[in-house]
Amino acid sequence: MRNDRLLAALAALLGLVLIAIGVTYIALTEHDIPSFFPGHVSHPASHHHIKHGIAAILLGLACFAFAWFRTGPREAPAAPPG
Amino acid sequence: MVAAGGQHLITYFQAIVIGLLQGVTELFPISSLGHAVILPKLLGWNLSQDKPYFLAFLVATHLATALVLFLFFLPEWVRILKGLGRSLRDRQIGHDDPDARLAWLLVVGTIPAGLIGLLFEHKLRSLFASPTAAAAFLAVNGLILFAAEYLRRRAPGAEARARELERGAEADTSAEAEKRLATLGFREAVGVGTAQAAALFPGISRAGVTIGGGLFVGLTHEDAARYAFLLATPIIGAAALLKLPELVGHNGDGVRGQALVGALSAGVAAWFAIKFLMRYFQTNTLTPFAVYCLFAGLAALLVFVF
Repeated sequence: MRNDRLLAALAALLGLVLIAIGVTYIALTEHDIPSFFPGHVSHPASHHHIKHGIAAILLGLACFAFAWFRTGPREAPAAPPG
Repeated sequence: MVAAGGQHLITYFQAIVIGLLQGVTELFPISSLGHAVILPKLLGWNLSQDKPYFLAFLVATHLATALVLFLFFLPEWVRILKGLGRSLRDRQIGHDDPDARLAWLLVVGTIPAGLIGLLFEHKLRSLFASPTAAAAFLAVNGLILFAAEYLRRRAPGAEARARELERGAEADTSAEAEKRLATLGFREAVGVGTAQAAALFPGISRAGVTIGGGLFVGLTHEDAARYAFLLATPIIGAAALLKLPELVGHNGDGVRGQALVGALSAGVAAWFAIKFLMRYFQTNTLTPFAVYCLFAGLAALLVFVF
């Protein structure tokens, strides 16, 4: 159970980070995003990496879904027939 | 839009033909993208397929196809979405809730292909968008379909599942079909879903690889087709919605009329294509499509190369 909680907490944290990355990609131009982000350019530019942002947000939501189910009630295994 | 020479960039006749072609080939396992690249070239139409106006036009036809797919399977989608809601509320996927399980199988199947599409679609399309490459990939698609029939039920546990599903297939309503689809494992769903990404290569069919994947893990042809169409709906719809600004923005100036006509043609063609395919796959296989793709691809390749 303790491992489940830890895994869920890590997934939720990763989800938060990914969503923050996604928002950064969408909100900032490819010049303004941090230089360690894939897609960063050093010259001035007005292009936004919208698709990178959506991809990161989707992954973040997937992490949240994982954490949500991981901390949910465990269903008892189905009783054997007869 | 009227070009400098006084000619329409896409005529209404071309819009109808491309719309019909898109509606049929998106759902038949023969690659819509491949045909959209090859056929205009064979007909001698001077369409600049990488130009924003043509991409804007294609957005409308894809949106129409996704809408028709959604409407055709509307009762299934209602059950699936209710199942998704139930599972989120209960924070678990119940053993006796195939709708919820199918919903999450579709989600986990869509994520990898969606991510690959988001990150690599543009690069792959610009690398392989030539008619020659599309013709070669169409021939490869034929080989994939042959392989899908040959490798049917070869995945671990697929044979046992296939026998089990065949026993339970007497009461064949769409709800029963959903129960059968819900027996897929999450790893299998990820595998089949990820295979969709192969359709980023023009000439490789999304429907073909997903139906093939379904056959590999033990589904019947009909169930594999149903799963492929359910899996395709969100990804085609999302891709079209993502590019909708191209149609409503200035890139769509002058082609919106043609886009509407093309979308209507695509929608009608898609409706009849699904009706036909769901009946066809009750008793038939992928082999005729494999033969068509192999020979059409090779023939087009010969035309373009020589």
